[in-house]
Amino acid sequence: MAEKEFLKVSNVFKAYGTGDSRQEVLRGMDFAVTQGEFCVLLGPSGSGKSTLLNIIGGIDSADDGYIAINGDKLKDMDEKALTRYRRKHLGYVFQLYNLIPNLTVKENIEVGAFLSDKPLDIDELLKTLGLYEHRHKLPNQLSGGQQQRTSIGRAIVKNPDILLCDEPTGALDYNTSKEILKLIEEVNQKYGNTVIMVTHNEAIQHMADHTIKLRDGRVRKNIINENKISAEELDW
Amino acid sequence: MRNPLKRRIPRILKTDWKKYLVLFGLLAIMIGSISGMYVANGSMERAASEAFEKYNIEDGHFELKHEAAEGLLNAYRDRGIRIVPQYYKDLSEDHDRDGSEDSVLRIFQMRDDMNRASLMEGAFPESADEIVIDRMHAANCGIACGDVISIGGKSVKVCGLVAFSDYSALYKDNSDMMFDALTFDIGAMTADGFEALEAESVWQYAYQFDDRPVTDAQKKEKSDELVEKLAVLALTGGVLDDADEAQAKKDDLEARGEALEAEGDELQAQADALEAEGEELQRKADRLEEDAADLTENIVGALVAAGVPVSAETAGAGEGELEIPEELLALIPADMRTKMRDLKEQGEELEKQGEDLEERGESLKLAGDELQERADALEAEADALVNKELENELTDYVPEYANQAIHFAVEDFGTDKAMSEVMGNIMVIVIAFIFAITQNNTITNEAAVIGTLRASGYTRGELLLHYLSLPVLVTLLAAAIGNVLGYTCLKEAVVDMYYNSYSLPTYETHWNADAFMRTTLIPIVIILFINFVVIHTKLKISPLKFLRHDLSRGKKKHALKLPEVSFLQRFRMRIFLQNLAGYGVLFAGIFFVMIMLCFSVGMPVTLRDYQDHASEYVVAPFQYILTDTEDEDGVAVSTSAPGAERFCINSMKTAGGVHEGEDITVYGYCADSAYFRLPYELAEGKAYISSPYSEKFGIGTGDSITLKDKYTDKRYDFEVAGIYALPGSMAVLVPDYEFNRIFDLDEGSFSGFLCAEKITDIEEDRIAACITVDDALKMANQLDHSIGSYMTYFVYVCFILAMLIIYLLTKLIIEQNAGNISMVKVLGYTDGEIAGLYVLLTSVVVVISAAITAFLSYMAVVEIWKAMLVRMNGYIIFNMHPQQFVQIILTVIAAYILVAFVDLLRIRRIPLTDALKNVE
Repeated sequence: MAEKEFLKVSNVFKAYGTGDSRQEVLRGMDFAVTQGEFCVLLGPSGSGKSTLLNIIGGIDSADDGYIAINGDKLKDMDEKALTRYRRKHLGYVFQLYNLIPNLTVKENIEVGAFLSDKPLDIDELLKTLGLYEHRHKLPNQLSGGQQQRTSIGRAIVKNPDILLCDEPTGALDYNTSKEILKLIEEVNQKYGNTVIMVTHNEAIQHMADHTIKLRDGRVRKNIINENKISAEELDW
Repeated sequence: MRNPLKRRIPRILKTDWKKYLVLFGLLAIMIGSISGMYVANGSMERAASEAFEKYNIEDGHFELKHEAAEGLLNAYRDRGIRIVPQYYKDLSEDHDRDGSEDSVLRIFQMRDDMNRASLMEGAFPESADEIVIDRMHAANCGIACGDVISIGGKSVKVCGLVAFSDYSALYKDNSDMMFDALTFDIGAMTADGFEALEAESVWQYAYQFDDRPVTDAQKKEKSDELVEKLAVLALTGGVLDDADEAQAKKDDLEARGEALEAEGDELQAQADALEAEGEELQRKADRLEEDAADLTENIVGALVAAGVPVSAETAGAGEGELEIPEELLALIPADMRTKMRDLKEQGEELEKQGEDLEERGESLKLAGDELQERADALEAEADALVNKELENELTDYVPEYANQAIHFAVEDFGTDKAMSEVMGNIMVIVIAFIFAITQNNTITNEAAVIGTLRASGYTRGELLLHYLSLPVLVTLLAAAIGNVLGYTCLKEAVVDMYYNSYSLPTYETHWNADAFMRTTLIPIVIILFINFVVIHTKLKISPLKFLRHDLSRGKKKHALKLPEVSFLQRFRMRIFLQNLAGYGVLFAGIFFVMIMLCFSVGMPVTLRDYQDHASEYVVAPFQYILTDTEDEDGVAVSTSAPGAERFCINSMKTAGGVHEGEDITVYGYCADSAYFRLPYELAEGKAYISSPYSEKFGIGTGDSITLKDKYTDKRYDFEVAGIYALPGSMAVLVPDYEFNRIFDLDEGSFSGFLCAEKITDIEEDRIAACITVDDALKMANQLDHSIGSYMTYFVYVCFILAMLIIYLLTKLIIEQNAGNISMVKVLGYTDGEIAGLYVLLTSVVVVISAAITAFLSYMAVVEIWKAMLVRMNGYIIFNMHPQQFVQIILTVIAAYILVAFVDLLRIRRIPLTDALKNVE
């Protein structure tokens, strides 16, 4: 695992609404993530974890403070630069897959590959994802787990520096969730991407290199996990 | 790597094929129609343009009152024009030989120089009993090659059907409101055949400039310059061609005549004085004679009394004889002798005066001779100016650029193209909005996917391109198929339509770059632009909002407060507000269909109304224009026909306004006119105008108008005193005294009679023209024939179009609301209740839209109609009755009812799971 500080979150504030309806979501968030690290943002609903993920993903912005990737501050980037940043460095996985319904599994993954100059080999990735046999199926012919695997495939096919996962197992049952976590772990190990995963499932922190516990928009604990276990060993 | 999103496009097309097929079909047919119109028009325009050289079409023609003497023709030729006589005779045509006149046939000799004919079928005439006639008239009247028709009572064989290059639209007279291919025909015969026809020739001459003008402006300038020369040359027998010069000469002659007259008067006065003096001398001489007679008598008496023997001869003297023999003088008393001496002296004086008188008489005679000589010289000069032998009169002049018979068809192509393009573009705009709403709905439904793609690094441009590609692809496909249709079957349909209206020469289909641009590039640009604006605006929403399905722009608006009505009513209102854009486009689509419906339903009604009321629209059932209003004895021509009244008429042209050069009839009406119910007292310079003139040119009371003389530069300004309802005429109306003042005519001059009945007591050759109701009907009849028959079919086309557009738009609205509909189903609403919410609302919108757009489209069509008729002479006011409004509204509603059934089925098919799926 690389030791280099890759992602820096520095004193980030974020609020929504104005006046009486103003709600502070992030209240001075501070932490750093090294390259290739599997980082879990853990916290209950309303702790600000998804907001933070969106700011890291460049689809939302901080009111104060900054986020830097390899020293490049996102707040200094205009919209085009942010799009380039997302295109070059980020892969996104959502709770509800968001697959394109009239494209096949392979084509959905190609949607991600299209964004990269050097995408991963799609057939090999399909095999890694266990979707090779299903590559010509449309999303509505797949189970939830298969759809999420497709969504992960779409995110990592461009071999992003950071894989952002927003509650990737939130809509899945236990076994399927474990399958997905194993897959993310495998991807992290195989391709060396930095993974930042938002979850409220405390069990998942045990498979992470780095856990940041959030509450009320603040970092409550910043834990480097010296004894992480594999996804296979997880139980909840 | 190719963008994998492209692979969605065929799948979307396949999934939603019904919608895209309808859109594709509408676009393809619309593009095909415009393409057909452009290709047919372009090819025929090219044929018409080539015809100028191929058939050597004139630069203009003119008519003279009498056949032109060679001197006049030479004088014309000296002015830089080449002249070819093309005399014609108008005869009655009886093509079914039932003894009654069917048409008027204008027959020329075969023309082999200017204005040659294009043979469409058969052969040109070779013998005196053969004729070629206009192809279109033959088609309209069912005359075929080989048929025998009767012209002026003579049977001739139709040996061929032709298109006359100078009569592509059959205008009998260039000032006619409309061409008439039903009751007017053109024919050509051999020289022998033509000579044998028993009818007066009309002395028409075609000309071409030696230095032929190229541009329209040059044509107009040269033609305007020529007309005055033609007119003046005709009047001066070819001596002068300049009106000013002729006027100056005339003024000079008049002045010199007047001077001569003054001199004559002077001489006359002198002669009178001499005569008076002579008379006085005569009286004195008489008195002297009487005195001499008395004296002689006294002398003789005295002699006799003195006893002097006096011979009988001497005794008889006394009648002025004063010579008395010397031997007798001594016998006369002294006082007598003195008296005699005085008498002698007086006699001598008298003689002297007589000599003087003679001398003055001599000088008077010399002055008279001189005067005669000068008068003779003046007469010779006048004779030289006005050569009675060569004198003629220009009765008609039509330059080629203003000749409706040559240009109307080509101009009609242009207007048809413009109209079809406007209608086509409106249709493309409607379709563009349908596409835009479809894509808008798709984006809404795919919000999460778009959010993910944007979060993954897809640019807004890439997604914009993706969502634009489908409308553009469908448009491109439609353009390709439409163009194929346009170059094949639809072009033929347009050509058939033109051949049904105009007598056009043969043509060849040519590739038309203009058609490509207007049928392919412009629709794509319109579709691209509208969709670009809508999709680009939509995609401006941030990726995060897409991910959250929050597609509202800007700050969240507060819910609109609705009136306190039932829940279902408020629900419907919310649905309406939520789908405002969709209903807006539905309104626009219905408006578009309504315009076409309005036109197709209103036009036949307008023409029928005009035909039915034509007798009310003309000034009088019979308008007789006389060649001369005085007979040989200088007595004004009169008639005993009941209700006949004198009127004045003159034909002028508009100078300026929406249609430069429009023919305007100026009427002068008498006091207490039965035909013009207008005040007789009118201030100088003021005039009434007819209602069509007012409407067509947008002129109202108090406005100024300028009319121009047809053949000269003279202009006449009027201030409009009021609008007079005269639906059949483009006219200016003034009292007759004002008419005569304006046109510098003698007091009491008039042009002819208006009459409710046919006048029978005026000699035929004194009548120059008789205008009847039939003349007013020409335009309506021809329009009815050319377009009227298509209108019935057009109503059905509009019905189908209405159905398709409403189908597409309501489908979109239901699709947009599928999630909500599914949700209310989940909540337990029945299909009937849901239909009550969605279908009923759409029904209300359709009905209200139909009612509003019926009136809006009527107003739009009135404007389109105006634009269409602007280039025609005359005007018919577009008209629709309440029942036509009801008809068009019901047509749209009927189309909707059929669609509503499909909508009900569609709502029924929305699964309950849609609501659950959308919860994601």
